[in-house]
This record gives sequence, C-alpha cells and structure tokens, in this order.
Amino acid sequence: MSMMAVAEQTETEPVVEKKSPGKALWLLAPGVIWMSLFLVLPMLMMVYVSFWTQTTFTIEPTLTLKSWVTFFTSDTYLGALWTTVRIWLIVLVATVLVGYPAALFVGLFVKNKALQTVLLVLCVIPFWTSFLIRVLAWRPMLGKEGAINMILMNLGITDAPIEVLLFSELSVIIGMTQIYCVFMVGPIAFMLGRIDTSIIEAAQDLGAGFWRIFRTIILPLSMPGVVVGAIFVSVMVLGEFATSAALSGRKVNLLGNIIVTQVGSLKWAFAAVAGVVLTILMGAVVAALLRVVDLRKEL
Amino acid sequence: MSTVLQLKNITKTYGDMRALSGIDLALPGDAYISLLGPSGSGKTTLLRVIAGFEHPDGGAILFDGKRIDTVAPHQRGIGFVFQNFALFPHLSVAQNIAFGLENRDVDPVTDRRVVDARVRDIISLVGLSGLEGRAVTQISGGQRQRVALARTLVTEPRMVLLDEPLGALDANLRARMRAELRAIRERCGVTFLHVTGSEAEALAMGDTVLVLESGRIAQSADSDTVYNRPASPAVARFLNCYNLFQGRIEGGAFVGGVGRFGLGSAAPTRAASPAYAIRYDRVSVRPREAAIAEDEIRIEANFVASEYSGAAVNSFFALDDGRVFEVESHLSHAAPETYAEQGRYALVWKREDALVYA
Repeated sequence: MSMMAVAEQTETEPVVEKKSPGKALWLLAPGVIWMSLFLVLPMLMMVYVSFWTQTTFTIEPTLTLKSWVTFFTSDTYLGALWTTVRIWLIVLVATVLVGYPAALFVGLFVKNKALQTVLLVLCVIPFWTSFLIRVLAWRPMLGKEGAINMILMNLGITDAPIEVLLFSELSVIIGMTQIYCVFMVGPIAFMLGRIDTSIIEAAQDLGAGFWRIFRTIILPLSMPGVVVGAIFVSVMVLGEFATSAALSGRKVNLLGNIIVTQVGSLKWAFAAVAGVVLTILMGAVVAALLRVVDLRKEL
Repeated sequence: MSTVLQLKNITKTYGDMRALSGIDLALPGDAYISLLGPSGSGKTTLLRVIAGFEHPDGGAILFDGKRIDTVAPHQRGIGFVFQNFALFPHLSVAQNIAFGLENRDVDPVTDRRVVDARVRDIISLVGLSGLEGRAVTQISGGQRQRVALARTLVTEPRMVLLDEPLGALDANLRARMRAELRAIRERCGVTFLHVTGSEAEALAMGDTVLVLESGRIAQSADSDTVYNRPASPAVARFLNCYNLFQGRIEGGAFVGGVGRFGLGSAAPTRAASPAYAIRYDRVSVRPREAAIAEDEIRIEANFVASEYSGAAVNSFFALDDGRVFEVESHLSHAAPETYAEQGRYALVWKREDALVYA
C-alpha cells in the first residue's frame, strides 16, 4: 500500500547527538569566577585574619591564637553566642507557629490558584518598604506610649504601660518574627499546594478525620517546605544585627552586633573570629536541618 | 439479588451546567457493574456523589435501605478507588494499605498484630506479596492499582467505586487487570461499580452495564443486551459499532439522507428522534453489479481506507452525503479483501439486522 512505500523511502539514519559536557561547563564560568572572587576568597581571608595579631589600633599579620582565646574566655562573646542561639530558636518556632497555619490556609483551603497567588503576594507587601523602616516602625507600636500600650490602657485591660514591649528581647523577637515569617509561609504553602487533593479525599474515604489526616498525611508531605523555610529564616536570623540594634536599646547583643561593633573600632581580628564562629554555626544549622528531610527526594 | 444501592432522582448542577439530571438507579449486591459514558456525561460526578465527595442538589441516595445523602464519605461504607490511585506518596505499600484500619475515626484497629494480619491477607488477595516494604513510588502502574484497591478492600466496604481504574495503565496491562479485577471482586463478594469511557471495557467487565448519557441513565442491562439492542441512538453511538442515520419513518420505510430503507418485522424502539442503526459487522461489501436478495438493503459508497487489526479489518466508505460508513469484516475464515481506492461499491445488509428508532 502507499503508506508502506512512504515508510521505506523515509528510512534514514537516526541522528545521534553527541553530548559534550565540557562545552556546557563554560556556562558556569561567570558564576564560579564571581563567587570565588567575592565569596570564597573573602571567607578564606576572614579565617586567615582571625589568626592575626590585634593591638589596640593596629593589626599585624603575625599568626596567633590570642583572638580565639579571648573570644572563648570572654563572657561578653560567649553570652552573645548564647543569645544568638536562643533568639534564633525562639524566632524559628514563632515563625513556624505563625506561618504554618497561614500557609495551610493558602496552600490547602484556597482552591483557586489565582487567589492563592494573590494571597502569597500580599504576604510580600511589607517588603515594599525598606528593611530599616520596617524595623523602626515597631517603635511607635511597642513603645511605652505606643499604639499597643495606649489601646490596652484605653480599654482598661492594663493600668500602667507594659514596659517590656520595647527595648527588650521580646521586642527583638516580635520584630524578627514579623519580618521573617513570610520566608516560612512561602515554601510551606508551595509544598502544600502540590499535595494532590485526591490524596486527602482518599484519606477521608478511608475514614480518617481532619486531625488524623493532618498528622499522618499533610504534615509529613509539607515537611520539606518547613525545612526550606527554616533554612531561610535561620540563615537570616543568625546573621541579624539591625533588628536587635534598633529594637533592643543595645540590651540584646547578637554575634552580628559584636561584628559590627568590632569592625567599627577596627578590631578586625576579633570581628573575623566572630565571623568564623557565626559561619560555622550557620553551616551546622543548615546541615542539621537538611538531615530532617531528604530534599533531593522531595523536590 | 438484593438491591444494595438505590438512587432516586439525583440531580447536580455546576453553575449553568447540568451534570446529573434525575438519575434513578438500583444496584444489586455482589455484582460487577460497569458504568459507561463518554467524557462529560457526568459519570465521575455520579461516582463522587455516591461516594459523598459532592452533594447532590436534589434526590435521595439509599444504601442498604437507609438514606446516606447527609452521611460523611467515610461513614458510608463505600470505598473509592481513584483514577490516579491517590496513594500516599510518603508511605510504603503496607503502610498505605494499613492506613484506613489504623486511622479511621470509627472503630480504629489499634492492635498491631491484627492490622498486620489483615494487611497480609489483603496483600495476598490482590497479589502484592513481597512488595510490602516498597515505597509506592518504586512500583509499577499495575502494582499501584492493586495497592489502591487493597487499601480500600482492607476496610471491608460494602461497595467499591472505581473511577476509570484502568485508564492510567498501558493497553497490555489493562487487558490483564480486567480479569484480575473481576476475580478479586468475586473473592470478596462486594459490589464493584466501575466507571469507564471504554465500551470494550464496560462490556467485558460488567455483569450489568449502565450507560450514562448527558446526566441520565440511558440503558441498564447485561452486556449482550446493551450491545445488540442499545436502548437509544445515543447508546448505539457510544458503543462505537453502529452506523447511524438520521431521518424519519414514512410509509413503512425509513427515509434518511442516502435513501429509503425498508423496515423489518420488529417494531421500532421508542426514542426522542427517529434513527436507523446497522452494526459494522452486519454489512457486506459487494461489487456494484451484484444482485441483492429480497430481504436486503443496498446503498452505494466510495471506498476511502481500511484499518487492519488482525482478526478483523475495518473499511471506511464515504456516502453520497459525505458521511463516513464503517464496515467490519472478520477474517477468521477469509483473507482481507482489497478495494480500489475511491472505487464505488455496494454496501448490503439484511433488513432484519437493522435497529430502528422512532
């Protein structure tokens, strides 16, 4: 038949495309060069400088452990390390507690994809103002004569202003939770949005109630989102200094604040020690979080 | 057989779209029922209404004589097997199957040994032994299908709804799973309601075949009756084995676009609009000059193309009004004929073989 004739005529050699991974590697060159010059090199430099000899006004490239010893024997520095870890943990838990329900609502209960996107964009609106303004805006909210205290007193709930609201660890935690919450909501909502609704219907059909389904299906399936969100929040909170500087009245010193102060007074070696400690801490936190969920499998 | 599920005048509307317009239905216990309908006929909606995922706008659903319209899905005693299987991706085969037993609100099984024993039984029933610990992402489509079925069967439902259960499988596997599903159903003795868009699947599997047409049950009968005596022209069209003509009955003959067909002895079947149907395999192709018998009907058409499928060959002819007419010739005792391209042939069938709707 005519079809067969056509098939015979068009019998051609299949074109085998030769793979050349060597050529494709060039695509990485700009990124690798940039990162080496402005990330890897400075980091190595930071480790190196942390062993330099620091005197009051000068720094010499004579290798010594003095700055490291000072760091680990000083109550100020160890206290800052502990405060950093404590505030990081509290803010992490607070962002999960505030962010997860919001993400659950957006990712699972809003069926309309367009509305989902609109709601997630709404979460990002605070980012339209600058970081410092967002932080400083908490002062008139939390202050002794701020909005919250005024409302509470006018309603007769409290007699005297609650002073602990501003220039305390609490104000730093409130400020950081507000700023970083969206980084938790986004990844969780994304993972929840990927859950096939028929899976939840199947669990319902098999007789499970909402909390059972949440605990056995929804929570495990959204864990990768929680881990990614936790990595975002952790990395940002651990490196924070501006929120605590603006909202704690210098009472809360994070490792970030130590670095800023040391650099300000030209104590480069101490600043480098604090920097290395902070980097190791972040690396450990990210590695620990990645152990919770195998992201390669989930994403 | 006793009636297990009864639907009375079930309606469901989505916006302006009427998905179900008055479904009346009674399904027997311990039977395999297939529900055939083209896409958009409302078959998935009907299944979801029975399962409880959608609420009907009107009508009543009775299960074992009790109304269940307001009962939550998981308290209906009806299992649902999803088209995409909807397995829990983070759980193993055994964990997926045990899910319902362990996590249901009503009467959960807390004894580990009881759960394990029942999971083991059902795994051997559906033929998944040896795969208990596998992740459901690491097994084949047919195996996933069995997990989905086992997960529902282990909770001992009184009835199982299957939404195009073979749709996600490749053709080879689909044929094997047909027999498998029927065998599994016979072993557990519950009613299966199997929704499909494939007429071959519906006819092969159902003890009873329901045909759904634009939100209504058009026919409910055994496979042989549905195939040989479709209740309406629409049913005949879904079956994909009838040539249909529109027209009118006039003076003892059917008058269609390509001529007058004399009527047989059987009375026309009642239908909304007159139609004339002749099965693909009841038509013979002859040279134009060949004579015809007295009880035969003859039309002429041009040969277009043919499709060879091993046991049969389907030939396509263009009628004078431009419509396509299909003839199926079985090759069990004959070699395939070759027809000249665009050649004119006579298509002949017996008057008694045609179905007439009026």
